[in-house]
Amino acid sequence: MGTRILTVEDDERIRTSVRLALEDEGWQVAEANTGEEAVAEFSRHPADVVLIDIMLPGIDGFDVCRSIRRQSDVPIIMVTARADTHDVVAGLEAGADDYLTKPFVPKELSARIRALLRRARSADTTVSRLRFADLEIAPQEGLVTRDGQVIHLTKTEFRLLVELANNAGRVFSREALLERVWGHDYFGDGRLVDVHIRRLRTKVEADPANPRYVVTVRGLGYKLQP
Amino acid sequence: MNQTRFGPLGQLGLRSRIIAAFGFGSVLVAALLSLTAVSLSRSNLIEQREQLLSERASLNAATLSEAISGPDADVQALLGSLPVAGRPSVLLGDEGDELRPVSLDSRFGATTLPVELRRRVLGGTPAIMRYERDGQVLVAAGAPLEDDAGAYFEVSPLDDVVDSINSLRNMLVAASAAAGLLGGVLGFWASRRVLRPLAEISEVASDVAVGRLDARLAYADWADDPDLAPLVSSFNEMVAALQARIDRDARFASDVSHELRSPLTTFNASLEVLRNARDEMPERAQTALDLLSSDMERFTQLVEDLLEISRFDAGAVRLELDEVLVVETVKMAVRAVSPEKVPVEADESLEGVIMRCDKRRLVRIIANFIDNARKYAEGATRVTLERHAALTPVDGEDPAEPTETVRIAVEDAGPGVAEDDRERIFDRFNRGGQGGSRGTDLGTGLGLALAAEHAHLQGGRVWVESRPDGEAGARFVVELPLIEASEEPDEPSLDEAPPTGAVDAVVVDPELVATDRPAGSPP
Repeated sequence: MGTRILTVEDDERIRTSVRLALEDEGWQVAEANTGEEAVAEFSRHPADVVLIDIMLPGIDGFDVCRSIRRQSDVPIIMVTARADTHDVVAGLEAGADDYLTKPFVPKELSARIRALLRRARSADTTVSRLRFADLEIAPQEGLVTRDGQVIHLTKTEFRLLVELANNAGRVFSREALLERVWGHDYFGDGRLVDVHIRRLRTKVEADPANPRYVVTVRGLGYKLQP
Repeated sequence: MNQTRFGPLGQLGLRSRIIAAFGFGSVLVAALLSLTAVSLSRSNLIEQREQLLSERASLNAATLSEAISGPDADVQALLGSLPVAGRPSVLLGDEGDELRPVSLDSRFGATTLPVELRRRVLGGTPAIMRYERDGQVLVAAGAPLEDDAGAYFEVSPLDDVVDSINSLRNMLVAASAAAGLLGGVLGFWASRRVLRPLAEISEVASDVAVGRLDARLAYADWADDPDLAPLVSSFNEMVAALQARIDRDARFASDVSHELRSPLTTFNASLEVLRNARDEMPERAQTALDLLSSDMERFTQLVEDLLEISRFDAGAVRLELDEVLVVETVKMAVRAVSPEKVPVEADESLEGVIMRCDKRRLVRIIANFIDNARKYAEGATRVTLERHAALTPVDGEDPAEPTETVRIAVEDAGPGVAEDDRERIFDRFNRGGQGGSRGTDLGTGLGLALAAEHAHLQGGRVWVESRPDGEAGARFVVELPLIEASEEPDEPSLDEAPPTGAVDAVVVDPELVATDRPAGSPP
């Protein structure tokens, strides 16, 4: 069975044209007109990637995102008509893995989808176990434990952690992380990294305000402190 | 400030003017009162003296008339025995037409008296007269003796009166000066009270000017003041109206933005579908599709740029300050936007400097410059970073604030920019001297205007100049205030960080750069 993409968009013309473009890439596309419809559709037929427009009648894109995130760690791309910080950060806080600003070019969308699918399928590393004090990462199994307790991460958070852990102690600039984890070009958005790092910290750190593992290196970026 | 509007005090500040007015007013009132006091006391004292003198003269004249009626009376001795108020003297008419003056003190004798006075008294009328002799103020009163026997006079110097009036005057002058000083102090205090609301208004106004539109004066503080309450409330109303207007503009920009973005999304997606089917189309349709494609790209960019610039106009943009290694950031930006290798040269003192700026905007500016060089000059030839002392205040910054700036310059080897066009080139939809006849694949005409906006927003500026080495070509410069990030790191220290080169090392990963690797495609 092929890759299945669920698009949630209330503008019928956008929905149809995006479906056609994505189908040209060889993907199966399911459509939802409203947030409610999207949540119901996702429960019936989980998709591999979900594309959510923020401005929806009824429950908005943020709510759809949170609702789907509660039942699945499926990659979610938010589509926003505005690039201002509020919408972007709110979308990422709601659990989105990436975002796109209208008007987007379908090639950009499919590149993002591919990047998300790639890391959803495999974390490409040969190491079977990474251990830092009480934090243990099993890249192959997609498993993280702290003090023996399993920590639940989304696929993007997991990929971000593995990326940092594979080169523990080395500083990654936001751009490097954007490229390696999200497949963005240089003009990617550092906020994407920052919000994911914040989310990651709330899960793996004992005290997220004073991180022990995922630390900021001022002016440079982030690193995993071995 | 308009000189004629405020008169001679126009060049002074409001506070100085209030103080001056209070001081001047106090001196004026005090001087007027003093003047009245002096002249009143002067006339009182002198009148008193004159009255006494003329009463005495009449009495003594009567006494003397009786005493000298006898023969061979010793007039001199008689004068000495009288209860006088001044220096007595007589003119005796007992020797025919010749009058005989007799006095105790020749300095004040009857011959020293004014002729007019003597004439009137000898004519039979008591009189009094003030006069000056040898610089001395004197008063003399006279009364006729009975039976035309002559006249009796008394003279009194007014020196003592003049002295006491003088000392009174001196005292009052000192008091007036003190009043002026006190008035000045009062004026200072009053001006503080009067200006306090102005200071508050100015504070709020500058808050509003920097975009804090929710700033208001606390009306409750002034509600009791009938003079200030209307000013405060109309000021607040003005700010509220301004805020409403800016909000409305921003909302409009946002609505327009949404209305433009939606159809463009459809256009781009549909166009992609058409492009995927290009091979199945007849040749004419293919040509039309190619035209549509290239213009759609430009149109999309134009709309993005327009929306961005309208966000600037609506005041809806916000700085997002990052701490960036300035040299690394510029290097990465240059590498990301130019396929050909452009050398980046930086002042040594900038190496490792962590600067506070809006990184996204800085990268946009550099990308715009490089893009511009590619379109008009076959690409950038060199990018330089220089550290400068901020001699002139950078636009929009407090002159006291930035002491240093960073200048990032993108040079090319094209035809350069004519002197006359160097400012205009940053205007919207202005593409330099070559007019509108640009090739087929050019920018939107907003790139440099946006670069200028991005720079202004963070207190910087942009300009274009000739290349410093004298070669043909343009040099586009962005200057930003160098705000170095504070020394103490909030998290792990920089010492732990590997050399900056390591950051670059992790960026390049050919496997991941190839984003169209069909990892997620179905089998």
